[in-house]
Amino acid sequence: MIPPPLAQRLLQRFLREDLAEDVMGDLEEDFHRTLSRKPPWRARLHYWYQVVHYIRPFALRKSSPRPLTHYAMLQSYFTVGWRNLSKNKMYSSIKIGGFALGIAACMLITLFIRDELRYDTHYPEKDRIYRVYQIFNDNGEILKAVWFQAPFARALKEDFPEVEKAGRYLSSELFGAGNNQLRRVDETDNTYEEGFIYMDQELLDILKLPVVYGHPAHLLDKPGTIVITKSKADKYFPNENPVGKQLVMNNDRDNPFTVGGVIADLPATSHLQFNFAMTMQGREFWPGEQNTWSATNYPTYVLLRPGTDPRAFQKKLGLITDKYLLPMLKQLGRVNAEEMARNFKMDVQPVSDIHLYSAGIQDGLSHSDIRFVWLFGAIAGFILLIACINFINLSTAKSANRAKEVGLRKTVGSHRSNIVYQFLTESLLFSLISFALGMVLAWLLIPYFNQLASKSLVFPWTVWQVYPILIGAIFVVGILSGLYPSFYLSSFKPISVLKGNLARGSKSGSMRSTLVIFQFATSIVLIAATVIIYRQMDYILNKDLGFDKDQVVLIQGVNTLDRQRQTFKEELQQLSYVKSATLADFLPVRGTKRNGNGFFLEGKRNVNKDVSGQFWEVDHDYIRTLGMKIVEGRDFSAKMPTDSGAVIINQAMARELGLKEAVGKRIENYRGWEVIGVVEDFHYESMRGKIEPLAMVISPGRNILSVKVNATDMKSALTGIENVWKKFAPHQPVRYTFLDDQYARMYADVQRMGRIFVTFACLAIVVACLGLFALSAFMIEQRGKEISIRLVLGASMKTIFRLLTVNFLKLVLIALVIAVPIAWFAMQKWLEDFAYRIEITWDVFLWAGVLAVSIAVLTISYQSIRAALARPVDKLRAE
Amino acid sequence: MKETRLGEFEEVILLLVGILGEEAYAFKIAEEYETQSGRATSIGATHSTLDRMEAKGFLKSEMGNATAERGGRRKRIFTITALGKRVLKESRDFRMSLWSQYPAFADKLNYLGAL
Repeated sequence: MIPPPLAQRLLQRFLREDLAEDVMGDLEEDFHRTLSRKPPWRARLHYWYQVVHYIRPFALRKSSPRPLTHYAMLQSYFTVGWRNLSKNKMYSSIKIGGFALGIAACMLITLFIRDELRYDTHYPEKDRIYRVYQIFNDNGEILKAVWFQAPFARALKEDFPEVEKAGRYLSSELFGAGNNQLRRVDETDNTYEEGFIYMDQELLDILKLPVVYGHPAHLLDKPGTIVITKSKADKYFPNENPVGKQLVMNNDRDNPFTVGGVIADLPATSHLQFNFAMTMQGREFWPGEQNTWSATNYPTYVLLRPGTDPRAFQKKLGLITDKYLLPMLKQLGRVNAEEMARNFKMDVQPVSDIHLYSAGIQDGLSHSDIRFVWLFGAIAGFILLIACINFINLSTAKSANRAKEVGLRKTVGSHRSNIVYQFLTESLLFSLISFALGMVLAWLLIPYFNQLASKSLVFPWTVWQVYPILIGAIFVVGILSGLYPSFYLSSFKPISVLKGNLARGSKSGSMRSTLVIFQFATSIVLIAATVIIYRQMDYILNKDLGFDKDQVVLIQGVNTLDRQRQTFKEELQQLSYVKSATLADFLPVRGTKRNGNGFFLEGKRNVNKDVSGQFWEVDHDYIRTLGMKIVEGRDFSAKMPTDSGAVIINQAMARELGLKEAVGKRIENYRGWEVIGVVEDFHYESMRGKIEPLAMVISPGRNILSVKVNATDMKSALTGIENVWKKFAPHQPVRYTFLDDQYARMYADVQRMGRIFVTFACLAIVVACLGLFALSAFMIEQRGKEISIRLVLGASMKTIFRLLTVNFLKLVLIALVIAVPIAWFAMQKWLEDFAYRIEITWDVFLWAGVLAVSIAVLTISYQSIRAALARPVDKLRAE
Repeated sequence: MKETRLGEFEEVILLLVGILGEEAYAFKIAEEYETQSGRATSIGATHSTLDRMEAKGFLKSEMGNATAERGGRRKRIFTITALGKRVLKESRDFRMSLWSQYPAFADKLNYLGAL
């Protein structure tokens, strides 16, 4: 019976050498003594116990002999590291360059993410501010929206003691928000201004936006007041206090606005953006509007009292339904009032969540998505990882050249840990240089990145927290990427390296291959994702929309022409290159008017559920100008006076109302209409959603005149239009946009994402290629002699080329196999956001694969060809 | 006196070294400690104390003879130095003086002392 060998080995491992003999002896004696009294397993356990109890400071072997002069050694490490860096210029610059590129990309993305996360965190009481939204379960389809009834805010405050304040805003163009003509009361020329909004004083009280002029509590509390931002104040009232001054909107001299105060310009990181806030005080858009529970127009915010649990508060919100909505629905005579009320819920959302966590909530604002933040974070991580892998790969590949150094160091007494320290120091040196370079690079690239991402980021030089983070990152990245190489290099046995036995660079080949595969798999995923994003973009922008968005000029601000609008339109139609023109404010692009209504078959109001859809006011030339297709019935006609009671619906409306042959049937919203035609469904909202029901009636618009231009020469057409405009409004410049531009703007976020994705995908590929380039250069250098001998023995250039490329290509192909399912899965998820989307076809991956392979071949072939063309004698002479 | 003060465990171990004489090596000392005091200890803990006292100069050690049940390994035999003896004595004297000042025990102590 002997003591447990493992315990003995452990003991030998840590025990001071001069103690080894007597301690081992003592323990063995003790073991035998125990064995004589107890079962063997107890004895063994006891032995272990004794061994563990020897782990005490006095008994431990002194680990590596500590160098007496740390500083001198460190200095030597740096010197050697620097020499090594400057000796291999190409490898060093690829190592550092790739690293710096990765770090710059990472920094930019980090800044981007930081900016995204900073949204709406500037309100002093942000933790208590919530936005209320409604959730309506429409036969299993969940609709979330932020618009509430006018009296909703008041009811919240009256019925819930938790609510300290409740405020609303209104941004509907239907009521004069959005864009308007503005001037000082003492001037004559109008300026076109954007960003008008209606607002309660109480919302300003909740948000506590910084006030420049005026009393914070009395900014909008009087009828007819308006709050303007600092930059607008400087524009209209330079160097004066605008409070109490008057502004005239849309030439309405009788109802001027009085400036109630000036607030600081809203930061870019505010979900709510406006330049002019008009008061809701004393406003009513139709008689009884402020008290009706049947129209939802107002996004509503609440300030909860300190200590209120928002979850508990949310649970109580059903009271509103019971107290106000259900009676309203019953009063309207809805048969399914109870069911509707049951399907209606409300919830609250912290104000700082609005920017990133509003997916699925309709609010008419454009915001980001937390998933993008994760996605970009992941991309940044991957790029950094690829850069680190380059570093590891090149370090281990070049190890053969350092092997002799390691051998010699060990022979003259260097401990293994010394060598690990040395290489870690070197890798830290690389990391430091790369970070410095990366920082400069990021700083230089910020303007371009801002353009790319539509952001206004600045490099945070002045934020002191950046520096500890940077220093930490330098250490973490330096040590992580240096860990494997340094342990690998320090493991060399002096005798074998000094004899020259080390298979040069071939060891750890499998590790290197794995890393190359990883790099390329990442790159391929990014390429495939890019291709799919672009295809989806292309699909959206070029899909048959059901209307013709090309060559349509939108002349805006025709309301200044007042009654002459119709004449203006007719005069334009006289022009040879104008095909037709239409006066309508409802257009199939975002940012124009919308008007949601409930529709019924006539007389079925009390029997059926309503079909919610858009109710658009257009004129006789609308369908012709925008090129929609009538599939049933006829267009509006100026010759038919009865058309004033006629309606044209889209297919979705016909389907939802269950009309088989719609023409001649009657439908109603607030009155009855006769259906005279059905248009093919056309996309008027984002492709993320389905086409909703829509009805059009005759009632010319006030603001926008859309002109379909015939000419190929757009420029002369525009001059023509401008000339006509000047006749009507000599003092006001014409303002126009193009329908297709407006349409493209709806997808600006997708496009932006596509662009960012492409940029970083390219970056990742560049970094991966840099690594591959250096790696292949190195491998070929190592096989120089072999190649020369093959050449001497008659190998052709082709065989040499193949020999050198095939190995790398194999890796790229494996990467392809790994990448395809990942990319497919991820992009399938992304596409699910779109109701109208492309199918992912196999050729995407074919392209991604071909691209990756050809990039790899190009990268490698430079080196391969060089090797194949080299004169064999140069390499062989040395022997 | 401060730098040569003994802890309770140290004092007992030092005494055991004296008692065991030629057989004073870590395992024996630990075993003796357990039998005499009835308290458990590990060889490592005992050895650690021995090592510390050796560093202080109370003990010295040299390698002794080997036996078969130790796998042919030699023992490290500890012996008390002159300094060690003095420290032990000082420690005892110090306690005796304290005991004698304690009235409840003063008589008995004298009696024991006479024995």
